[in-house]
Amino acid sequence: MVLLQIAEPGAAPEAHTERQIGVGIDLGTTNSLIAHFNGTDLNVLADEAGEASLPSVVYYSTSQTLVGSDAEQHASVEPGNTIASAKRMLGRSREEFEDDPYIQLAAGESLAFATDAGAKTPVEVSAAILGALKDRAGPQLSGPIAGAVITVPAYFDDAQRQATRQAAELAGIKVLRLLNEPTAAAVAYGLDEQAEESSLLAVYDLGGGTFDISLLRMRAGLFEVLATGGDSALGGDDFDRALAAHLLAELSIGEPTAVQRRVALSLARNAKERLSDMASVDLDVSGLDAGDHEITVSRSTLEVLLSPYIERTLDACRQTLTDASVDAVDRVVLVGGSTRTPAVRQAVANCFGLEPLCNLDPDQVVAMGAARQADILVGNRQGDEALLLDVIPLSLGLETYGGLVERIVDRNSTIPVARAQEFTTARDGQTGLVVHVVQGERERVEDCRSLARFELTGIPPMVAGAARIEVTFQVDADGILAVSAVEQQTGSRSEIVVKPAFGLDEAQITNMLKAGYEHASEDMLARKLGEARVEAEALLDGLQAAMAADGDLLSADETAALQSDMQNLEIVIAANQPDDIREATEILGKASEIFAARRMDRSIQKALQGVALSELESDVAEESTP
Amino acid sequence: MNATAGATARDYFSLFQLEPDFVLDETALERAYHALLTQFHPDRYAGKPQVEQRVAAQFCADINSGYRILSDEVSRAEYLLQQAGVDLVAAERAGVESTFLMTQISLREQLEELGPSDAAGRLDLTADIQGHYTASRDQFAKTLAVDAYLDAARHWQEMCYLSKLLSEPKLRAG
Repeated sequence: MVLLQIAEPGAAPEAHTERQIGVGIDLGTTNSLIAHFNGTDLNVLADEAGEASLPSVVYYSTSQTLVGSDAEQHASVEPGNTIASAKRMLGRSREEFEDDPYIQLAAGESLAFATDAGAKTPVEVSAAILGALKDRAGPQLSGPIAGAVITVPAYFDDAQRQATRQAAELAGIKVLRLLNEPTAAAVAYGLDEQAEESSLLAVYDLGGGTFDISLLRMRAGLFEVLATGGDSALGGDDFDRALAAHLLAELSIGEPTAVQRRVALSLARNAKERLSDMASVDLDVSGLDAGDHEITVSRSTLEVLLSPYIERTLDACRQTLTDASVDAVDRVVLVGGSTRTPAVRQAVANCFGLEPLCNLDPDQVVAMGAARQADILVGNRQGDEALLLDVIPLSLGLETYGGLVERIVDRNSTIPVARAQEFTTARDGQTGLVVHVVQGERERVEDCRSLARFELTGIPPMVAGAARIEVTFQVDADGILAVSAVEQQTGSRSEIVVKPAFGLDEAQITNMLKAGYEHASEDMLARKLGEARVEAEALLDGLQAAMAADGDLLSADETAALQSDMQNLEIVIAANQPDDIREATEILGKASEIFAARRMDRSIQKALQGVALSELESDVAEESTP
Repeated sequence: MNATAGATARDYFSLFQLEPDFVLDETALERAYHALLTQFHPDRYAGKPQVEQRVAAQFCADINSGYRILSDEVSRAEYLLQQAGVDLVAAERAGVESTFLMTQISLREQLEELGPSDAAGRLDLTADIQGHYTASRDQFAKTLAVDAYLDAARHWQEMCYLSKLLSEPKLRAG
């Protein structure tokens, strides 16, 4: 078992005897990928057939669960048991999909698909996809996966990010960080390392069914998403449909049968791909009508057919630039398989007035960036790499008197962030209040998205306006929110980690894990014990090193108390009971929090001494420059 | 629920090792901010024990809040007044001087009369508001320096009003 290394912040890390394995996962709407950076090469891990992309499709029957192209084969025969595009529904509510004719919802209040294997939530479907990626990667890696960076669209809100994390937990994957897809694409190109001067970057992402445009600002290792836009119902599939309709029209097939439609679509897709390299292609259309002949399609014909769709993407680009008050960008990165089409590349180049970056595979670039970042986060590189600072995409606030929203955390705040605001009661003798957490930019509650609602009770009866209730919003580095409310005089307290309104609760996840969901072969107890021991031993080792270095920050009593908790944890570890180890780790963790905080305070000095020094150096450099 | 003024815990000037002064070396603030984030960002603690992750996340949130408050003139002014123990709610109730009220009304009228395609008028008005803002800001710095907190609080309110006016959509180009 590899122990985690605890290095003094800022101190040179001790060399790892063994390289930790971090993977990057692009959990896509249509396709998903997993990639690994081994220190020299970025590899997208393919399946046994050499296929890198795993279709994000899961098939459920009473006897088996299939993922990927195996699942896709059941789509036409058993559409209800074959779930595609579950990502669109992650972290959403049932109401948003009740009128969708293509989805068979299971009975009940939650958003779940009705399948022969029972109700399946979008979180479970996503977990099955993540599990399949993990299983595929296992034999190709030199050891166990220490953690993963999973990419999400920049516009994903708190609930969608939570749901993504839950899916990973369910698949038994430790999430190092959720990373915005456009940021990952920029990292794959190494733009984070070049970003010394402030520069602007547009990421144009045209997939099979969705189009996203994101505008990023990079400066001194800081990535900031300025604006996002796009069209959730526009993509390469529209290209295929347009060309298929053209083929059918050429053959004067006015009312195509379902089979003719399917044949035409597959001919169209094939022709579109070949026309990326050729000026014209001859298509054998004997499968479409009785005649035995060919149709020639030229690249210019295709371009005419595609131009209305491409123009729509450019409109979205211009709108996003306007939203961010930006006239021009310094770089454009292409993402998504549909950007292989030469007409798309040309149109993007014309629109932005510069050649887009496209030398990496546009289908793989997001997973590659995630893999690079995962390698850093598992601790294989330390100290010199750029930091990817994310911002929250939407403002967070509370409902106040009269259905108005009081904004607590503004959109585009750098995360992690914590903000506290004091509130008071509106009525005399009010002893409780409902904290309603909402997300969005609008003034009125009904125009925003409701995230959570909880109640603070036990406020002593007072005249209106006398109680002092402090509400704190904390958003972590993944963009996930926790809210707490404290009545200042009585200390009455209430808190909540905001969960997706129709996601799974902790108990459900634990039950599913216990049931050996998708991983029946793994011994759950052994895994839990292993994880608990690693965490406990890491804490003990860290504390020992910290006490040796900064023991003077503790009083004699504090030292004695900590040592007793440490001894207790050591005894519990020896007894091999995972739950007991977790509990004792938690106790020691809480007890050592104040010590950790004092040590961080002390290391501020060190961090800033470094700054003072580099400042001095740059001053000297300036003076010596003629 | 009704909102009241929020409370702050840590002294942000000492966090970034800066003098607690309204006039501030923005480059030094930026450098200190990046140096601290580089060290304490949760990504640097991804493989560390949970207790260290928790403390680091909290610490990083403090660093981000501190930077947000100090890097903006209006919020920095407010923060300095809070640190000096000025009752900002009472100050807001006391209001601004009547001469500034007249300025307020006049600027607001000019904004309302501004035609959507009047680019020159937009630039003129923006420059005018900016001039008033600079004057209020300089007065704030001056009064704060001699501990005349009530005067400073009044100039801070002027800064709030003017900076809000500058961010009006009508004044933005395009």
